Amino acid sequence: MVKAIEVENFSYKYPDGTIALNGITLDVEYGERLALIGPNGAGKSTLLLAITGFVRGTGRVVIDGMEITNGNLKKVRSRIGCCLENPEDQLFMPTLFDDVAFGPLNMGLDSQQVKERVNLALAEVGLAGMAERAPHHLSAGQKRAAAIATVLSMSPKIITLDEPDGSLDPRNRDNLVKLLAGLSQTLVIATCNMDFAAAVSDKAAVIDGGRVIAAGPAEQIMSDSKLMTSHGLEVPRKFINGYSATGFSG
Amino acid sequence: MHHAYIDKFAYQDSPIHCLDARIKFLVTVVFTAVVISLPRTSVSILFCYAVGPFVVLVMGGIPLRFVLKHILYVSPFVLVLALTSPWYDRTAATIVFGPWIWHTTVGWLRCWSILCKFVVTMLALIALISTTRFANLLAGLQRLGVPRLLVIQMGFLYRYIFLLIDSAHHILRARAARSAGGVAFGRGAKFAAAMVGSLFVRSIDTAEHINSAMQARGFDGNWRTINRLQVCVVDYVFVVIAVSFILGLYFFVKPLLG
Repeated sequence: MVKAIEVENFSYKYPDGTIALNGITLDVEYGERLALIGPNGAGKSTLLLAITGFVRGTGRVVIDGMEITNGNLKKVRSRIGCCLENPEDQLFMPTLFDDVAFGPLNMGLDSQQVKERVNLALAEVGLAGMAERAPHHLSAGQKRAAAIATVLSMSPKIITLDEPDGSLDPRNRDNLVKLLAGLSQTLVIATCNMDFAAAVSDKAAVIDGGRVIAAGPAEQIMSDSKLMTSHGLEVPRKFINGYSATGFSG
Repeated sequence: MHHAYIDKFAYQDSPIHCLDARIKFLVTVVFTAVVISLPRTSVSILFCYAVGPFVVLVMGGIPLRFVLKHILYVSPFVLVLALTSPWYDRTAATIVFGPWIWHTTVGWLRCWSILCKFVVTMLALIALISTTRFANLLAGLQRLGVPRLLVIQMGFLYRYIFLLIDSAHHILRARAARSAGGVAFGRGAKFAAAMVGSLFVRSIDTAEHINSAMQARGFDGNWRTINRLQVCVVDYVFVVIAVSFILGLYFFVKPLLG
């Protein structure tokens, strides 16, 4: 049966010889929300780059039934959208409309379809009516939401997000959790924030030293304090017995 | 970090803001060309020409303080050029204005002409930038046939120059925090070189990320945009008024003023 993402024995070395990913094997079913958790430099971001075809190593990466090759990158990227760590890199056009329309236009859609997709995507992330705003006039939370809209407008089946909660205050982080909870796509989220990971995912994979240390249901993985602390992580408040969480409504 | 964006008033709502970017750009180009082409001794007509952009600025609700501040920012370059003119040309000249007569030199006349032309054309340029969203201006330039690569570069420059300035500020602040009692010239120069290098590396890094973001959204080298500019009746009315003003002053008022 076809899975959203299949990574088989994937390895990648940086040009200086440092091993970034070492024999990664990972599956993600359609509709799953996978949190890639691990300490800094574990290889989470590199794995996301491999999944979106920006990093090519040994082994297989199959997206929506298509193994990534040089010949089908454009087709693969119409099915998997990626949100980079810094939304400033994602929002490069003069207006929000142009940014959100960039992907659909490259997909060959006509003007009317593009406008409809832009309006839908902006409404979905709570930025309706802000299409004419310049990216530099948006707040940090709005920039993050706008970056997700640039991907949503392409109607991908899978979305990868690299540290989406970075530099967000608690209110904006809570809004982001709600936004991600409302998405129907398969999500792969790399984060170092365990509370955020627990709030947005139903599956988790611990990555350390370029390897998948453990993968499984989010609660099972993230409530294992021995596993978490041995890899420089912490058990999210949500999974600490007797703790009554007040944040993260997701 | 807060920046004084050049188009900070471009998001206001006024009859001038609603005009098509292409029309405003073309009128500004024609206006500037006519003002620059005026003879160096025609100083008084420049005061009449200043009325045009002044009216546009007032109608667009642009604070004159903002306009004057921006004129002052770039004035040193022109001041150097203008103030050296009296030394180059000391030919005697006489100005007759009604009952008043002044004796001066052609160099001083040229100096005043340069300064007045500078102020008048800057008024027009600021009126254009302050009443037109930069995105619309870029779209307009593209529709007018300006090379696409140039338009894209201007768009990226405007989008990322402030981030680069932010990075520079952060580095300078980090240095200030660790340089108690000042820094010797030699070390300062060394630091400046290191800062430029660091900014260069960051710029390349950012460019690579942007390239990834573009490729992730299917970019194949062809830059596709939707034309959302539309010329309306109001734009044609503006063209008629602007052209009548520019040419009317040139052909009818200038001969009277000399």
